[in-house]
Amino acid sequence: MRTGIFHETFKSDERMWAVPAVRLWLLIGALVLFTMPLWSGDYLLAMACIVGIHIVATLGLNITTGNAGLISLSHGAFLGVGCYTVAWLGHRGVPFYLTLPAAGLSTACLGVIVGLPSLRVKGVYLAIATLAAHFILTFVFREWVSVTGGVPGTTIPRATLGDFVFVGDRRNFYLIYGCAVILAIAARNLARTYIGRAFVAVRDRDISAEILGVDLLRTKLQAFAVGAFYAGVAGGLLGYFYGAITPEYFVLTLSVFYLAAVIVGGLGTVLGSILGAAFMTFVPEALRLLVNASAHWFPGVAGLLLPMGQAVFGLLIIVFLVCEPHGLSAIWARVRRVIHLWPFRT
Amino acid sequence: MSKIKLNLNRRSVLQGIGAAASSGPFVMRSAMAQGTGDIVIGASQPITGVFSFAGTAMNNGLGDYVQWKNANGGVGGRKLRYVSEDSGFKLDQGVAIFKKIMASDKPNFFYGDSTQWVKAVAQDVVTSNSVMTSSTSLASVVADASTMPQHVVPGPTYPHLHEILMEHIAKTAAAAGTKPKIAYVYSDTEFGSDGIPGGRARAKKLGLEIVEEIITKQSGIDVTPEVAKLRRSKPDIVIFQGYILAPMPEFVRQMKEAGLEPQIMGTAWGLDRPAYDSLGALGVKLTGVSAYSYGHETTSPMINNMRDYLAKARPDLKSISPFYISAWMSGMLFGEIAERTIKAGKPLELANMKAALESMTDWDTGGIVGPKVDVSGHQIPAGRVYSYDSAKKTMEPASDWIKV
Repeated sequence: MRTGIFHETFKSDERMWAVPAVRLWLLIGALVLFTMPLWSGDYLLAMACIVGIHIVATLGLNITTGNAGLISLSHGAFLGVGCYTVAWLGHRGVPFYLTLPAAGLSTACLGVIVGLPSLRVKGVYLAIATLAAHFILTFVFREWVSVTGGVPGTTIPRATLGDFVFVGDRRNFYLIYGCAVILAIAARNLARTYIGRAFVAVRDRDISAEILGVDLLRTKLQAFAVGAFYAGVAGGLLGYFYGAITPEYFVLTLSVFYLAAVIVGGLGTVLGSILGAAFMTFVPEALRLLVNASAHWFPGVAGLLLPMGQAVFGLLIIVFLVCEPHGLSAIWARVRRVIHLWPFRT
Repeated sequence: MSKIKLNLNRRSVLQGIGAAASSGPFVMRSAMAQGTGDIVIGASQPITGVFSFAGTAMNNGLGDYVQWKNANGGVGGRKLRYVSEDSGFKLDQGVAIFKKIMASDKPNFFYGDSTQWVKAVAQDVVTSNSVMTSSTSLASVVADASTMPQHVVPGPTYPHLHEILMEHIAKTAAAAGTKPKIAYVYSDTEFGSDGIPGGRARAKKLGLEIVEEIITKQSGIDVTPEVAKLRRSKPDIVIFQGYILAPMPEFVRQMKEAGLEPQIMGTAWGLDRPAYDSLGALGVKLTGVSAYSYGHETTSPMINNMRDYLAKARPDLKSISPFYISAWMSGMLFGEIAERTIKAGKPLELANMKAALESMTDWDTGGIVGPKVDVSGHQIPAGRVYSYDSAKKTMEPASDWIKV
């Protein structure tokens, strides 16, 4: 039975994954993930790609909202900025390994601008300020036809690496999860740095953080910039995955989707972002499959069952939040604790 | 709802359970739904969500066409099979459904719910080399045989609808010896704005004056300031585009209060029963270009077939929506493409199906769209002007079929 971790050296204390068991599970997880295109069906793989993109975007919002406590409702629009940046650069022959960072950086710059009101307002007031940014950006997506293609949208040239074209889900899977793993590790590392700790300090009590020497202006803008960077990269990946995009994708409900993913998964944790994004994508799909299967057996009530799937999904979120306000990551932590302490109870 | 024929015998159930046990729930249906030799039409339909009012009609329209066609001998001796799932009008879900049905049912044709869906799956469809797509979208961007070789639009594009409308306005104005002033009111969506440049260009060519263009959101609009603009420009005709119903009645009500009584016009989906009923109640004679004959008309043999089928299959249905007719039309296009390809002795591959589509230069739609139409450009470039008849409370033809 393991009751705790005893660190004997600073090196051990600084390790990202503290114990060999965690490292082993991560290795197994990585193996399963990276062999997935070899054994998985097309449908599951497509869903995995969509989840991967949502994970990257959720990681970003979790840094802004979960770590730094700054509510953003413009995250969906940030994805659009990244997507259109990749499209615009892609049409000019820029390779994906430059377009994706460029998408992140351009979105980060925009994130700084959108984050400026956070210096004066917070909470729901900040949410409204970022909501305004969302509407401005979606207006730009529709009207800046030369860059975005306007309402009909634009195409995104496929990512290529030499003669290797990232076409099809099996190839895009590696592009998406390559980025997702790098950005997840970066997010995990960020939490251990001065910047990450400053985010948490600002979230918990910004006045106290300032007294302790945290530069509020810089920290809040950094939180917005980093979150937006992730959204920009996610938007770029989205573009490469679909190959074409219209402004209709970047609606307000997309931002709400990510906010829900952060809350359901667990604020301020990388695992929460992953679980939240997976939950928000897979659970409605699983419910839909279940409802579809039921509709075959009870065709008379099929019309009623289909909308019921959405109602059940909403109820599930409420139940989760009531039973575990800290999200799925806290449930996972509790499960791990039970396993570690078995046969004793926590 | 899906209309999958399940051959539920002991063997197939055991196969299904075995597959599910070994590979998870996602492949269970594939084990149970293969090897029938049917021509499969897949569909990602918005049965729930904001577009559900149309999605339900589209799902019924395509599903009913398949049933009707099978009851009338099928296609080239083969049965059609329809497999649809609810997309909720979400791109992620729509694309996931496409991948799922592609993997499990190997469809020959696929029907999607939006322009962005058509564009998002285009690369996969072309790569598969075995599927043609259609959709409810009348956007010009998907009606391009060179960039979208796999896709067919089941009607005229929005620009074509507006060109037809302008031709009609010019013709009636010339006959009456007037020079009408036109105002456009359209939503900032693709449905709203895609046709406007085409209409604007045709108006300019025909010497018609567009005195006002008002762009609004699709819903939740404060109409008052927009009506104030119309009061200043005093148009003789107001063309609405991009709305199914709201905010058209509110616009009309406020225009009437302001002393404006322009002729109200629209196109396609904006001419459905909710629109002409509610505008008719306000004393307005809605006029516009429809891509299809209306469901109550008796001059079209195919509409008669549709009505006869519905009388038996859906006796509670009060009227036939244009969304239903559009999806039925997509089914007809799929059926005709398959029939021509099979008759040519070629496999149902994209190049062969595209060639079959492009051979349809004089295709009889059974009167749904005019006498004969040319579909070789991957669209049906024809429409007809209809006008509200307050006595019959229906839309009645106000012109012949106009080709552009």
